[in-house]
Amino acid sequence: MSMFRSKKLDIGSFLNIKVIRDHTKRKVFAQYEPERQALRYIIQNTTLPAKTRAEAQLQLTQMHCYTRPTQIRGRCLLGGKGRGIFRDFRLSRYNFRMQALEGNLPGVQKASW
Amino acid sequence: MSVPRARLLELMKAQCEIFATTYNPDGVRMGNKILRQRLRGPTMAKYYPPKGPSLQNLYSEFKQLGLEGINEEWEDWQEHLAGRQQRGKAPPKKKTGPPAPTKGQK
Repeated sequence: MSMFRSKKLDIGSFLNIKVIRDHTKRKVFAQYEPERQALRYIIQNTTLPAKTRAEAQLQLTQMHCYTRPTQIRGRCLLGGKGRGIFRDFRLSRYNFRMQALEGNLPGVQKASW
Repeated sequence: MSVPRARLLELMKAQCEIFATTYNPDGVRMGNKILRQRLRGPTMAKYYPPKGPSLQNLYSEFKQLGLEGINEEWEDWQEHLAGRQQRGKAPPKKKTGPPAPTKGQK
């Protein structure tokens, strides 16, 4: 959502709208995480009154979808692709192969036996 | 050799006092596991690398140190923009604020 998006571009990787959106979601999640965790604590604490817990449940579900960690997806730093990402390298499988063959990834070498 | 439950509970209580944890012999769900979790947000927000300095920023930084430099490309671009402005071909002003909600969308 554009209201969460930073006014000035603050990432230096490959850019397209999906990357910007994902970055925005990450920042919004980081901002609201304590609030979410507090609500989750209230919900999961069975010693609290049922009404409080139900209210917390409602509040948690009514938070903006950008504050949810499940909205976040790893994207390729070089191509912005959302599928086939190596988490350790943050690259899609094709870009990973290209970078590895060029020798840009320390410790990665082509298997041969 | 079996130890009576009461004795074990005493031990547990002492343990909780020493290590400052919650004494919860019945295993009631108190949600403490959520308080124990670390916050993932800061690391997740650092996924994309930050933007590096642009040429224009470097020039302005150098100016403070008393060094001069001419960013020809930028100056050319500014001239070009000024020319467009004169001819009335400049891009329109950006909209402000989020777009109005459209019909039929949640």
